[in-house]
Amino acid sequence: MRTRKTLLQLFGIGIVCLSPVLAAASDTAPASLEERLAAYRERVARLEDQDAIENLQAMFGYYFDKGLWNEAANLFTRDGSFEYGLSGVYIGQSRIRRAMLLFGPEGLGQGYLNNHMQLQAVITVAPDGKTATGRFQGMVQLSEPGANGVWGVGIYENEYVKERGVWKISKLHFYPTGFTDYDKGWARSTLPMKGQSALFPPDKPPTKVYRALPGNYIPPFSYKHPVTGEPLTNLPQAPDSVLGQ
Amino acid sequence: MTMMHTMLRAASQAALATALLAAAGPVLAQSAAERLDALEKRITRLEDMNQIERLQRTYGYFVDKSQWTPLSRLFADDATLEIGGKGIFIGQPRVLEYMQTAFGPDGAKEGVLANHMQFQSIPDISPDGKTGWIRSRAFVMSLGGWGLPLYENEYRKENGVWKISRLTGPFTMYTNWDGWGKNALNNTWPDKFDPPPDLPPSTVYLTYPAYYIVPFHYPNPVTGKPFKPDRGEVGAYAAPPGTPEQIESLKVGRLADGTQPIAEPPRD
Repeated sequence: MRTRKTLLQLFGIGIVCLSPVLAAASDTAPASLEERLAAYRERVARLEDQDAIENLQAMFGYYFDKGLWNEAANLFTRDGSFEYGLSGVYIGQSRIRRAMLLFGPEGLGQGYLNNHMQLQAVITVAPDGKTATGRFQGMVQLSEPGANGVWGVGIYENEYVKERGVWKISKLHFYPTGFTDYDKGWARSTLPMKGQSALFPPDKPPTKVYRALPGNYIPPFSYKHPVTGEPLTNLPQAPDSVLGQ
Repeated sequence: MTMMHTMLRAASQAALATALLAAAGPVLAQSAAERLDALEKRITRLEDMNQIERLQRTYGYFVDKSQWTPLSRLFADDATLEIGGKGIFIGQPRVLEYMQTAFGPDGAKEGVLANHMQFQSIPDISPDGKTGWIRSRAFVMSLGGWGLPLYENEYRKENGVWKISRLTGPFTMYTNWDGWGKNALNNTWPDKFDPPPDLPPSTVYLTYPAYYIVPFHYPNPVTGKPFKPDRGEVGAYAAPPGTPEQIESLKVGRLADGTQPIAEPPRD
C-alpha cells in the first residue's frame, strides 16, 4: 500500500510538529484511534482538494467560453499568471483580465464561439494540501464573425494554491498543439498560433517556444508515471524541421 | 460531495466514541475501531477509483504522443490488450510490440495528430479492493478523421500500485474528415496489419453503421439489475433492433449468434 505508507509517513511528520507526546508513536505500533482519525481526515481532505480543483478548472472553462473575462480572472491568485500558446505571460488579475480581451470583447457576442473544454483531468495535490498541479486535455471550438469555424486541441499544465481554504489558479498554461479549419481538417489545414500582441504586450515572453501542428510538441507532465514513479518531464520531443529542435 | 460529508459524520461519531473510551472500557473501543476500519475502506475505495481513472487518462496522454514504452508500463506483466477487432495480445511485452509494430516506434512525429482523448469514465472497485473496472470512451481526433473506441477495462492492485490488467477497446465508429454521414471505416481484424495477435478476437462485431452493444461491467445504478445482452440479438447489427434492415442482416453473412465470420474479413 504505497498510499498508506506515504500517509503514515506524512502523519508521522505532523505528529512531530504538533505533539511531542504522540511523537513517541512509531509506524510499527498500532495507531491509536485518534491517530487513525487524524490520518483519515487528511486523506478525505486531499480527496476534497482534488475535487475542488477539478471543478475550479471546469468553472474557468465555462467562464472563458463565454468571454466572462472578469469572472475568469477572479479565479486567479493576486500574482497568478496566464499563458496561452505563444502569446506570452500575463501576471496579476488586472493584466490577465485585459489579456483575455485579446480573445474578443467582454461577453463576446453574436458570431463568436470560444469553447475551451477542460477534460481528462490528472490532478496532483501536494501532501500538505496547500498546492496542486493539474493536466487537462483542452478541446477547442472557435469562431469569429465572418470567419470559418476552427477546431483546436491542446494541453493545460496548471498550478493551484489554497488560500484561506479556497483553491485558486496560481499559474495557467495552455499549450495549444493544433488548430485546423473546420471544413478542411487536420490533413489539409494547420493554422498557426497567434504571437505576442503589439497592442497589449505580455509581461514576459512565452516560457516555451514551440510549433503547433505540423509540430508535435509534448508539454512536460506535472506528475510522475503512475506505475514506475519515473518523472515525465523530459520525454524526447519530435524533431522539428522549422525550429531545428 | 454527499459521500464526503457522510464520511466526515462517521468520523465525528468515531471521535465521540473515542472520547468516551476512558469511561466505557474495551467494548466500545472495539466498536470505534471497527467503525474506523469501515471508514478507511470507504476512503481507500475513493482513492482507488481516482487512481484507476488516472491510469486510464495517462494511457490516453501516452497514446496521443506515441509514448509506447511508458504506456506499456501502465500494464501488469500478464495483462491482455484487445483493440478493435484485432484480437488479443497477452503480456506487457506483447502490448509494447503491438503498439510499436502497428503504429511506429516510440516518440511524437512531426506532422502527426493522433489524439485519443479519454472521457466519461465509470470506475468501480471490487469489495476486496484488489480489482477495478472502468467503462469509458476515447474520442479520437486525428489526421485521418474521427474515431470512437469504447473501453471496458480491468485494473489490478499489485503491492499497492494499480495497473491495467485487461484493456478491451472495441470500436464504435471510425470515419474520415468527411464525417460519419458520408463515410464509415470497417472494424479491424487479426490479419489486417502486423503483428498478429496471440488469440482471436473475444467477440466479432461490426462497427457503425452496424450496431454493437459493449457489455456493461456494472448493473443499472437505479434498478440494480444487470443489462444482459441477448447474444443472438446484440452480436452485430446493421441497424437498430427490430428494424427490417436489422432482421435481414441477421440472415446475411453472419453467424447464428449475429456475429460476422472472421474467415472473410470485411473490405475497406
